[in-house]
Amino acid sequence: MSVLLKNIIRFILLILVQVCVLNNILIHQLVSPYIYMLFILLLPLNIPRPALQLLGLLLGLTLDMFMDTMGMHAAACVAIAYLRPFIINVLSPQGGYEVTQKTPSITSMGLSQFAIYVTILVAIHNIIYFSIVTFGWANPLYLLLKIVLSTAVSLFLVLLYELLFFVRK
Amino acid sequence: MRNLIIFLRRYFNFFLFLLLEVICIIFILRNNNFQHTAYLNSANAISGKLYTQYNDVQYYFHLKATNDSLVAENTRLHNELRDSFDFKDTTNTIKTDTIKTYSEDSTHKLITSQPRRWLYREAKVIRASVNQEVNYITIHRGRNQGIQPNMGVIGPSGVVGMVRSVSDNYAVILSFLSKLKAEKSFGISARLKNGGETGTVYWDAHDIEEGIMEDVPKSAKLKRGDTVLTSGYGSFPKDIMVGIVDTFYIADKSKTSISIRLRYATNFSNLQHVYVIENLLEAEQLKLEDSTKKVIK
Repeated sequence: MSVLLKNIIRFILLILVQVCVLNNILIHQLVSPYIYMLFILLLPLNIPRPALQLLGLLLGLTLDMFMDTMGMHAAACVAIAYLRPFIINVLSPQGGYEVTQKTPSITSMGLSQFAIYVTILVAIHNIIYFSIVTFGWANPLYLLLKIVLSTAVSLFLVLLYELLFFVRK
Repeated sequence: MRNLIIFLRRYFNFFLFLLLEVICIIFILRNNNFQHTAYLNSANAISGKLYTQYNDVQYYFHLKATNDSLVAENTRLHNELRDSFDFKDTTNTIKTDTIKTYSEDSTHKLITSQPRRWLYREAKVIRASVNQEVNYITIHRGRNQGIQPNMGVIGPSGVVGMVRSVSDNYAVILSFLSKLKAEKSFGISARLKNGGETGTVYWDAHDIEEGIMEDVPKSAKLKRGDTVLTSGYGSFPKDIMVGIVDTFYIADKSKTSISIRLRYATNFSNLQHVYVIENLLEAEQLKLEDSTKKVIK
């Protein structure tokens, strides 16, 4: 399957899962499970940075359209799309990753590197999104708890996704 | 000039990032304004269609509960039909939509004649969120079926929200499970059934079953389980169920009002049908109030 087709399918799949399943789950008022941003995290390593940011905007606006949160998810998505290359740069070994391995994954980055990469970006997404939703830091403890718990649940979902679609090399 | 171009090229990604974020922030700010019509929302064709199909499946799982609540509601409505009508001077106008009362003796005289004030339209819920700070409900009924922004919305067991924006066939409702920082005023004007004291009910984003009622005067006699109804001042008719008093406390000795925690009558997590209420006399009332304000100024 070509990389383009794979990513289009992933986009649709993640939005559908987010809208039809995860948004209907109410575990606790503090926990909002999110997985759709995995689309940005799993885009090919060699994608141009402007394209990455525009895809982030597209993904965010698509979800915003479904959730009536105009611009909120988009802002968080654009931010992680902008920061992604920096995180990859910091985590990558000397001389970058091998060109043959095109997408960030456990096999191409190594388990610990990939885990750090996902954790940082998911956390950034949640920090930005929940700060926007609650309009600032009026109740820092509540906000912090919400960010931490939601990030934990999101990471668990990413783990499930990786187990489902794990490709042994 | 050349240096400027080099500078722009060098930091192109950063400027693109700033531009996109500014676009997002403009979207957010426009959307927060209650007066603005929210344009790209779940009332549009793509998401409306998806939510309709999704709901078609989900609907079957709730059929039994939905039927039960509809039957209960029908019984209640049969008993209360008269409440949708209001007194009016009938000496010089002819209204077709009126309810007439006749005396019960043999003369069968006309006693009163009341025009319709509240018009209920049923609507199917195709999406409802409860896990956000601000929750929206999308219904399959829009401008073409007579829905307008700012109409009140109730469910089978109590108040639900206010219509926020409408498209041709869908409408988005701002649910009362919404904590709006920008507008403190988004709450339900409510009244205690026993004493008649009024207050405002709003949500504090902690529990989807519980809200807070404030500005109730200290003199109110309260006990657990008291009923809270709508006051009839806003977009809702009088005496629609809001919730039941759970606990109450005086936050501050110096304050003159009591805070009440109440359990909502509506179960927001399994809404299937709602009723959108149109106030047929609203235009007249608003016109009068506006002209009065102008006189005072």
